[in-house]
Amino acid sequence: MVVANDPLAMLLLKQDVEAFLYHEANLLDDRRYEDWLDLLTDDVRYWVPMRRNVKFGELEREFTREGQDINWFDEGKDTLTRRVNQILTGVHWAEEPLSRISHLVTNVEIVGVTPSASDAEEVALRCRFIIYRNRVATETDILVGRREDTLRRGDGGWRIAQRQVFLDQNVLLAKNLTFFF
Amino acid sequence: MAITFQPSAYSGLVDQDNGMVSREIFVNADIYAEEQERIFTRAWLFVGHESQVAKPGDFFVSSMGEESVILCRDRQGEIHVFLNSCMHRGMKVCRYDEGNTPIFTCPYHGWSFATDGALVGVPFYKDAYHEELDKSQWSLIRVPKMVNYKGGIWATWDPNAPDFLDYIGGFKTYLDILFDGWDGSEGGTEIIGGIEKWMVPSNWKFPAENFIGDRYHNISHRSVDLVGIGPSGQGRRDNSEREGAKSLDVSFPERGHGTVMFLRPEHAQPVPSYQNDPIVADYFYQCEIARKERQGQLWRILAGPGTIFPNMSFLPRQPRSIAVWHPRGPDQTEVWRWFLVDRSAPPEVKEFLRQYYIRYSGPAGLTEQDDMENWNYAHSASRGAMARRHHYNYQMGMGYAVTDFEDGGLKLDGTVLDTTKARAGEQNQRGFYSRWREFMAARDWDELATWRNGNGSAC
Amino acid sequence: MADIVNLFEVEPGQTVRLHGNATAEVVSNPRDGVWLFVRYLTSPDDPDQVGAEDMVFAQDVLELVTD
Repeated sequence: MVVANDPLAMLLLKQDVEAFLYHEANLLDDRRYEDWLDLLTDDVRYWVPMRRNVKFGELEREFTREGQDINWFDEGKDTLTRRVNQILTGVHWAEEPLSRISHLVTNVEIVGVTPSASDAEEVALRCRFIIYRNRVATETDILVGRREDTLRRGDGGWRIAQRQVFLDQNVLLAKNLTFFF
Repeated sequence: MAITFQPSAYSGLVDQDNGMVSREIFVNADIYAEEQERIFTRAWLFVGHESQVAKPGDFFVSSMGEESVILCRDRQGEIHVFLNSCMHRGMKVCRYDEGNTPIFTCPYHGWSFATDGALVGVPFYKDAYHEELDKSQWSLIRVPKMVNYKGGIWATWDPNAPDFLDYIGGFKTYLDILFDGWDGSEGGTEIIGGIEKWMVPSNWKFPAENFIGDRYHNISHRSVDLVGIGPSGQGRRDNSEREGAKSLDVSFPERGHGTVMFLRPEHAQPVPSYQNDPIVADYFYQCEIARKERQGQLWRILAGPGTIFPNMSFLPRQPRSIAVWHPRGPDQTEVWRWFLVDRSAPPEVKEFLRQYYIRYSGPAGLTEQDDMENWNYAHSASRGAMARRHHYNYQMGMGYAVTDFEDGGLKLDGTVLDTTKARAGEQNQRGFYSRWREFMAARDWDELATWRNGNGSAC
Repeated sequence: MADIVNLFEVEPGQTVRLHGNATAEVVSNPRDGVWLFVRYLTSPDDPDQVGAEDMVFAQDVLELVTD
C-alpha cells in the first residue's frame, strides 16, 4: 500500500479505481466485448504466465517469463481484438453457446500512483479475482488468482495499460481459456 | 457388472472391413484399464527433450501413461528416465516440475537416490537395518529402453520392444522434419521454456486421432480462419508454399503412425513467406533454399500434423510443437505441449514464432480452443447406454489408398491416400485403430512386430 | 538438549555434532532438509571413520558446533 501523505485523496482515488474495475467486470460479464476493448490502451500488455512447482528457495523460477517463455497469454491489443472478433463470429464453438461468466474482483490495493493521489495519471494496483464460468448444461470452471493492473487516465476515464494475471493452478483445470481475466 | 474383454473381442470393437469403431473403446473403464497394461507399458512413449536437461543434475518430471517419471541427467552427463516412486513405500521422490538437484529425497521416510537412480541414503542404515540392506537392489526403477533421437527423449517399459527406429519405421521421414532444423540440419531444434499442461474432459484417443490426419474437421476452425491469426495476420497459417501442391494422407498401419502432408510439384522452388517481417521472411527463405539443396526431392514434403502411436502428436511446421495426450481415466486427458524452434535462429525469429505459437495453441490458443470443445462433447455424448450401441463411422476414402505412391520421381513409403480432390479421408485413423486392436490383443512384441515376418496388416 | 537443526540453514564448512558422538565438517548441502554430505573430523567410537565422506540423516545431526 502506498504511504499516502493525502489520505483523503487516496480514499477518493481508491473509490474511483474500484468503480472502474467493477464497471470493467460488468462489461465482460454482460458480453459487451467491444466496449471492453475500448477500455484498453492501444499499447496494452496482457500477460498470463504458467506456474511451476519449484523447490523452496527457488521461487524466482515459479512463473514463466513475459516476453521470453511460453505463457497462457502474452500479447497486446491486436490479438485481444482478434479474440473478441472470434467470439463475435457466432461460430466460435468453444463459446457457442456463450458461457455464463461472473467476475468477482476483491482485495483491491493501490500500490503506486503517478504523480500523486490528488491528480493521478497512472495507478498501479493489485487485486484478487474469482471467475466463475458455467456453460452448456453442467460444465463449470472456477479460476482464482491475483491480478496486477496498471491503469492510465485517458480521455474518457481510466484505461488499462497493463494486466498481469497469476493463476492459482499448475496443470490448468479448465479445458480452455476462451474468456478474459 | 464389469465386462471382461477377451483379446478376441477387440476385433468386434474395431471393425476394419467395414470402417467402424465401437464407442466402447472410448468410454469403457475396463477397456481403459486394459490399455494401461497393453499399450502404455509396451509402446515407445515421448518423455521430453534433451534441452530440458542440459546440465548435470537437471531434471524434468514427465509422465508415461498414467505414471509420473523423472527425466534427468546424472553427474556424469548421462540421461535417465525413472519411475517417480520411492522404492520403500512408493511416495513420489520429486514433486517439482523441473530444476537441478544432487539427489532425489523421499519426504516420507527419507530414502534418497542419486541422479543415476542409485539408492544412496537410508536413514538408520546401521542401527535399524544392521547394514544388511543391499542398497544396490533398491535403485529407482529405470526404464529398460530409452533413446535420445535428435534431442527427443523416448522410453518404453518393455525390454522386448523393438529399437526406437524400428518402432518408427518409414515414419522417420516425418519425425526428422520435426526435430531437424528448418534448413534440414540434423537435430537443430530446442524447446522454448514453459510446457503447457491442461486437462481435457475426453478420452486420450480423440486428440490422438485428430492429429493423425483429420482434415475433415476444418470446419471446427471456421472462426479463427475468419478472424486470422496466421504469421501474416490472415487465416490460420501462411499457405503460399502450398501452391500447386498435392495433399496426401500417409499411414503406417502396421505401426499405427500417420500424418498428413502437402507435396509440392516436382519443379517447385522456394517461395517467400512470413513477409510481414523482413528478418523472419529472409530467415525462412534462406532455410528453404538450404534444405532444398540438402534434401532434393524430399524437400517437396510440407509436413502437417501427425501422431506416433499411441499418444505423441506433433506439428512439424506451424506452430512447431509436440503434444502428448496423457491418459487420466477413460474420461480425462492431461495434455502436455512442448514448443520447438531452430536453435540457431536469430532472436527475432524465435520471438516471432513464440508469439504465433501462443496465439494458435493450447487452451488459450484461438485455434485449439474449438478442438477441446468438440473432443469434450463428442466424448460425453458417446457414454450413454444407447450411444454405445452404435459405432463411429471411419469409412471416408476406403479402398482408394495405394502402397506404391510415386510422383515426379519421389517414391513414398507407407499407405498413401491422395486427398487433393477429396480434401479429406480417414485412412490414417483406420490405421491407428487397427494398430490399437493389435496392441490390445497381442501377447507380446513377437506378435506385435508384424513387419518382421512381412505380414503387416494393410488398411 | 539442543534445538532441532534445520538442515536448510546449514552451510558448507560448518561443523556438526552427530549421533554416535562424532563430529563432521559439512562438505555440501543438497538442501532437501533431510541429508547433508559431510567429512568426519572426530569419531571416538570408530576412529577409522575420520576423514571419510558420508551422507548424514537429519535425525542424526544433533547440533551445529559453534566456536
